[in-house]
This record gives sequence, C-alpha cells and structure tokens, in this order.
Amino acid sequence: MCVRCAMSRRSLLVGGGVAAASLATGVAGARILPRDMVPLIGPGFKPTDTDEIGLWGLMDRVEEEISGSNLLIKDPEIVSYLQEIIGRVGGPAAKDMRIYLAHVPDFNAMMFPSGFSVVFSGLLLRMRNEAQLAGVIAHESGHFLRRHMIRSWRDQKRKSDLFAIGAMVAGVAGAGAGVYLGDYVQLAQLATILSLFQYSRAMEAEADAMGARLISEAGYPPIEMANVWEQLIGEENASARYRRKRRERGSLFDTHPSPESRMADLRISAQEVTVPGKTYDNGRARYLKTIAPIRRMLLDDQVRLNDPGASQYLLNTLALDGWNGTLRYYEGEVWRLRNRAGDEARAAQSYAVAVAYPDAPPEAWRSHGLELIKQGRGGEGKAALSRYLQMKPAAPDAPFIRQMIS
Amino acid sequence: MRRIGIALALALSVAGSGCVQTRQYADVQFTPPRGDYRLLVMRPDVNVNALTTGGVAQPRADWTEQARNNIIQALRAQQGDLGGKVLVLSRRNELTGISADEVADLERLHFAVAQSIALHKYSGESLPTKYGKGLDYTLGEDAVALGRRTGYDYALFVYAEDNIASTGRTALQVLGVAGCFIGFCAPSGGSNQFAYASLVDLRTGEVVWFNVLQTGSQLPGVTFGDIRNQQGAAQMVERLLGRMKAGREIRKAQAAAEKK
Repeated sequence: MCVRCAMSRRSLLVGGGVAAASLATGVAGARILPRDMVPLIGPGFKPTDTDEIGLWGLMDRVEEEISGSNLLIKDPEIVSYLQEIIGRVGGPAAKDMRIYLAHVPDFNAMMFPSGFSVVFSGLLLRMRNEAQLAGVIAHESGHFLRRHMIRSWRDQKRKSDLFAIGAMVAGVAGAGAGVYLGDYVQLAQLATILSLFQYSRAMEAEADAMGARLISEAGYPPIEMANVWEQLIGEENASARYRRKRRERGSLFDTHPSPESRMADLRISAQEVTVPGKTYDNGRARYLKTIAPIRRMLLDDQVRLNDPGASQYLLNTLALDGWNGTLRYYEGEVWRLRNRAGDEARAAQSYAVAVAYPDAPPEAWRSHGLELIKQGRGGEGKAALSRYLQMKPAAPDAPFIRQMIS
Repeated sequence: MRRIGIALALALSVAGSGCVQTRQYADVQFTPPRGDYRLLVMRPDVNVNALTTGGVAQPRADWTEQARNNIIQALRAQQGDLGGKVLVLSRRNELTGISADEVADLERLHFAVAQSIALHKYSGESLPTKYGKGLDYTLGEDAVALGRRTGYDYALFVYAEDNIASTGRTALQVLGVAGCFIGFCAPSGGSNQFAYASLVDLRTGEVVWFNVLQTGSQLPGVTFGDIRNQQGAAQMVERLLGRMKAGREIRKAQAAAEKK
C-alpha cells in the first residue's frame, strides 16, 4: 500500500496468475466521500483473526529487517519530526504507527499491514511544506485505519479460491458433458485479475479521501494534497518531454488511479472538508527548517539520477518559494551533467548567479572558479577557488585545487 | 477394477513430481565436521503457511512459532549426536560481545550470497568462472571476525518453510485427480516443504557446504512430514543435514586410499 508503486502492480499480476472469477466486486467508480471515511480500528489495535495474526507475524520480521537496514536515514531530528506528523494525522492509531525514512531518491511512501510506514527521502525533496508531507503520511495512515491490507489480502484469497473451484468445476463438468470450457476459464481468469486491480484502485481512492479528512482535522490546508499530485504530474511530463517520450497513461492494469483523477477528486474532497472560518497552517517554515540539514543531500541524489527534465522541474517548483544559492548551484549541475550544446554556458551562468547568494554551497564557488578559468578569467577564477578552499579546507579535492591556484 | 487400475496408474504418474528431493554442493576440500568442533547455528528462519483453496500461502503465526521451536530442538539433537559443541541462537542478541546489529549484518550478507548460490548453482544459470570448482563462495572478513571473537569454527544458516494444504485445497486436489476418470486431469500441488542449510567455515569465511530440500506431491493427502510436530521437524533436519557429503577432492582421495 504505497502512494504510487510499480512493484505492487507486478506482484499483483503474478498473484493474478493463480487468481479468480467474479466481476461483482461491489466497488463503484464514483468518488469516495471523505465524510464516509471513518476509521475501522481504534487505539492500540491488535489483530484477533488467524489470517491477520499470521500477516502481522510476518510483518514483525519485515519491520525488524527494515528498522535495522543501513538504507535508513537515522537523523534523530528528522525521524522524530516524521513521527510527530504521523502522530498528528494518524487518527486513532496515531500513537501506534511507526515511520522510517529510507534513503531512496524517489517519490514514494508505503504503509505495511502491521502499522509501520516507510517514506522515501525523494519525497522530502518534493514536498514544499509540512501540509504536503502530512498529506502523503495521512494517505498512508488511511490505509492502516481502513484496514486495507487485510481487506485486499482477503479479497485476493476469496477470488483465487473462487477461480480455482470454478475452473475445476468447469473442467470436470465440461469433460463429463464432452465440451471444452477452457476459453471461458481464461475469460474468468482475466476478469478476476481485472477485479483485483479495481479493488486496489478503490482502496487508494479511500486512502486519499481519508487522508484529506485527517489533515484537515489536524489543521493543515487540505488542498495541499491535490497540489502534491499537480506537482507530480508536472514532473513526470517534464521528465518525459526531455526524453522525447510521453508520460505513461493509465490502463486497466494500474494498481492506483491516475494522478489526474486523484488530483481532481482531491480538489473536490478538499473543498468538502474545509471548514469556513477555520485557520489552516501549511507549516512551511517549520518544514524547511527541519529538512535543511539534509536538503543538499536530497538535491545531490536527484541531480545524479540524470533525469534533467524532472530535476529542472523540481528545482523550478522549489524555487517558487524563492531562488537561493543552493538551488542555483544544482540548476548548474543539471546543465553540466546533461552536457548538450550550450549547456556548459548555461551551467556557468547558474554558478555565477549561485555565488551571489549568501547561502551558496562551497562547491558552487569551485564550479564558478573552474568556469572562469576556462573563460580565460584566471585571476577571478583563482579568487573563487580560494574561497572554496577557505569554506571547505578538508575537501577531498583540496590538494588538487591548491596546486591549481599556486 | 480395471478402470481403477488405470486411474491409479495415472494418479501415480501424476505424482511423479511428488517426492523428497535434496541437492547438495560442497567446497572441493570440504570434510564434514566431526568430533571436537564448535558450531554456531544462526537463528533459523522458519515459516509455516496454510495453502488456501486457490493456492495462496497464508502465513500462520502460531504454526510458525511452534515449528521454529521444533526445528531448534531438532537441530540441537541432531548436532549433539555428532559430538560437536553446538549453540543454536533463537534471537540475534544472544552472543556475548556481539551486537544484534552485527549478527543481522552477517545474516543479510549470507542471504545475498545464498541468493547467488541459488541462482548459479540451482537455477541453471551456471557461471563459467565457477565451473568444476564445487562450491566457491565466501562471506569474507565479517565471518572470520565473528569466528575470532566468539571462538566458533562453523556457522550454520537454516531456512525452513512448510506449506500445509487446507481442507479446501485437498478437496480441489481430489477433484483434480478424480477428473482423470472422465478425461479431465488437473492435478494441483498440495502440502509442500522447502528448506536450505548453509555451512560457513568461520576460520576462512567460506561457504563450505550448501543443501536444498524440497518435498511435495500432487496426490491429495500425501505429505512428507509436518514440521509443526517434533517428529516432522526432526525428519526435515535429518534430510537436510543428515547426509553431509565430503567435497570432491576429499572423496577422490578417500576412494584412492580404499583402492590401495
């Protein structure tokens, strides 16, 4: 149960291979209303049914592995900040859920059946304020509060049982009567697989509606959840455009509704849950202050993905809140790494602008200095490089740079 | 009578895939440990699932817990008979002076190596560089360090899984085999087991011996032990570890010695 993931689609398809008949899932395509989304569990929930106990037992071991993984970012301030947010938007289970931050430069977050959540570091780069982050975390809480994992697990079991029995009966009866029903069995199998995906999409829609309600109750502007999707659509379009491709379109085999439909639904839901006269706080200042220590690392990770379209889009989106030296430096890095005709001049310009800001990272001075030397402005270039050495005397390449300017 | 005879023959051929299979690989210089050796058995990874009618493996916490205890007991008994000094870990933090994180790291490293062994030794993706070399994998310095700090000679990693057919699954199997009488044979798998064991020499860090066990049958009701009871667990441990063969070079030397 993640915000958006390709993995679960693959596993569903594999699972679907052994799975079942019946189109009647009872899930309609209409928008799910936030007011219908009541939590299905209370505080301190513990499973009582055999299948759920089994699932939790397995998940305890998964959590043991994840919590000890060296992929986790363990910065205590950021981790407790995330824990605080899930405590605010976690509804009745606020105190029961755990959250881990994984160092993966990608937009994703997921909730596991036993109530622990994993957030990818790429999400922290993309969120513009605390409300957006809270929206994603609330969506994940929604999965847990609405018991989605056990419900979809049971759905999968039920359908695979039905299909297995149906196929067997059709085969045996068909053989007895002398007709071949194999085509019908295949049709039923496809129907089963499709209905599994439909169920999965319905649950994502539920989690969105539940999330909107949760963040609104916690005092965050609910419209920020829709903004997250707007940003994601923009990023994916920009990324595809650079690669001269089109963004992937929705299909019957999607586990999640399309970003467009989620954005549209979330806009309406946001209006519904907004209480007139209530003041909402998007917590932007607090958010930026908390992630400041790792923001450069996040930008570094993104730029190195070598996805200039997405990186450019992200930088421009973050810059809507104001350009600074760090963002300008990474803008230069995107050009430099893309390395098409004219990109070096663009990069040089970005570095030059970056060093005009007080927060320019040391590396901006280095890149600026190197570009100046290439342009034949040796004196200015050396001055910039000295500035780099002054800011970062123990840099790995310091001896090399020192030799250059001596 | 004749008809039943044919059905039986059919059913038997159907069950052809149903059996107990093991396949072991060893370092060419491997001699099974005997006598005075110290063996550390890492926390066994045990899973017991119920197999639903549709074939989905449903994890069962109570069965898993029971089976884990049985496997640990069976390992103690089996290794005790060989004369070695054995410690079976049931948690990661039971070694004095070694943190649970360090144990976890080694377990994860081993898992990655075991995946590689599974892929290149068992799944047919054999590597030309490893051809004819027996088992040629190592956990490296981390394993040697563990041996040095704890004084153990070997570490054993064990994974065991038992999938138990539910009543619905068994009924489906019966139906599938019964269909053979009227010309629709659709046998499906029932209870099955999968396990592997991997022995690491902590003095060199090398994986010196590896064995995979699989059991299963398409005949309804036929099982090959059930690790939820002690007898079944002992049976699995015996199948997995009981017939540890020496490496190729050692066996050659032994055969040559016998000829003389």
